[in-house]
Amino acid sequence: MSETPILTIGAPGLDVDTLVADLQATADRKMKDGVYADARVARAEKTNLVHLRGSDDFITFYLTCLRDAVFVDISDFEIRERRRIIGPLLIVFKRTIWKLLKFYTYRLWSQQNQINGLIITALEGMEEQTGTRVAALEKRIAELEQKTPHGQD
Amino acid sequence: MARTDRIAFVCPRLAGEGAVGGAETLLKNLAIHAATRGCEVDFLTTCAQSHFTWENSLPAGMKQMDGLNIHFFPVDERDAGTFLRIQQSIDRGREVPESDELLWLKNGVNSTALLQHLDQHAKDYRAILLGPYLFGLTYFTALAHPERSLLVPCLHDEPFAKLSCMKRLFSETAGCLFNAQAERELAGELFDYPDAKSRIVGMGLDAFDVDPTAFARNHNLTAPYVLYCGRREPLKGTPLICDYMQAFRERTGRDVKVVFTGSGTIDAPAALWPHILDAGFVSETEKHEAMAGALAFLHPSVNESFGIVLLEAFLAGTPGLVHAQSRVLVSQCRAAQAGLWFRHYPDFEAQLLYLLDNPDARNALGERGRDFVSREYAWPAIEQKLFDAIDTLRPNP
Repeated sequence: MSETPILTIGAPGLDVDTLVADLQATADRKMKDGVYADARVARAEKTNLVHLRGSDDFITFYLTCLRDAVFVDISDFEIRERRRIIGPLLIVFKRTIWKLLKFYTYRLWSQQNQINGLIITALEGMEEQTGTRVAALEKRIAELEQKTPHGQD
Repeated sequence: MARTDRIAFVCPRLAGEGAVGGAETLLKNLAIHAATRGCEVDFLTTCAQSHFTWENSLPAGMKQMDGLNIHFFPVDERDAGTFLRIQQSIDRGREVPESDELLWLKNGVNSTALLQHLDQHAKDYRAILLGPYLFGLTYFTALAHPERSLLVPCLHDEPFAKLSCMKRLFSETAGCLFNAQAERELAGELFDYPDAKSRIVGMGLDAFDVDPTAFARNHNLTAPYVLYCGRREPLKGTPLICDYMQAFRERTGRDVKVVFTGSGTIDAPAALWPHILDAGFVSETEKHEAMAGALAFLHPSVNESFGIVLLEAFLAGTPGLVHAQSRVLVSQCRAAQAGLWFRHYPDFEAQLLYLLDNPDARNALGERGRDFVSREYAWPAIEQKLFDAIDTLRPNP
């Protein structure tokens, strides 16, 4: 028995519009399922946000991603060096600098994390409030439109 | 149009002399092909190569190349501070007075020597083709000889296009040669530009046949790769490529490399660098090899009037992945049935995974692109469109 593929490029009736729409629908579904609620997605979108200003759905999604990305990682990390000869020396030097500065930077970044957390909470609150107000207004407009027959002021 | 006609092209830089730019490449190629058909073509440009400094880095004078008489004129002294200050205001969407618009144009790139040359010789030319639209050189040259000026504007939907001086430029010149229907529609929206005053010409592309494995072999690339060719700068969307590819690699665990050709700095996350190949300036053959071997050609710029490199990638049999906000690039993908467009990262991930996991589909898209460009953008067809446009918009006096 031969299997019929779900999508056949070049098949009559299928064009790139259909393919793009299909892939976008898949992406939208996955976004709703939380597959992309990921700090890495929020970081990746930083230069694209300007193009998404008109999309309410995307801003809600982006805030979810941002919630994951908002806190600066202040824990210790592995210091690497690619330069072969002076690499080990540089690693020792950088580790020492990191240890010396940690008492100061830790305090700084902790405060930054608090600010970031407060800002994201405020943004989420504002977005929720605006969404609720817009929904209420839309409902009110729909009710008024129903009460006023077309063609009458 | 008679083969004995003499025409002039005016462009701020000459493509190929250390300068990379779509508009510059377009004008140079149109000029070369007009000369091939027997026209006498003067290509008037400046001594500058860098579009950041506009420093006179080439000697002034005339030289013959590719059948063209190329005249290099020095760029005038300019007040870069004033230019940048006003440019920043325009770019941020602030309203600037008309006097500032002119100050911005005057302190952009200009050449009094080039204007003086045209004051003496303009009457010798059947038409003066000039572009792109947003440079002082184009503006002042076109308005000095509006009756014989045909703009090749390379118009983008950007704040500069909304300046009142641009409305004057478009309304007073004899006509426009657009690259695509989407660009013509944009001119209609911005300037109420009548279709009768314009023609769609575009640029032709010569078919090529390259080994799709050569680039990967020569650069020891064993994993699939995506490609971007051209200027690397935020306006072209190159930081987005790096951000998306870093997220793609981390999230999917798929080893897809990123290849860049062209000029400019690459702004990439540190973790992506081991997976980036910056080939810099490459020959046309090597660029075509890189295109032919790529999984997809990425073109995330939203400000394009004509995606030459995208069409080249189609001609190489490689599908495009473009930003959904670029109506020109999306229309090219649609027309060729050879590319996909993404709104945001989730779309991008889904589309790149699709191309990666469906090589037959990827190849079928590539084949469609190759057929489309070979059919619609062959040089003889474009040359005819160019000559028809000049005949219609600048009838023989």
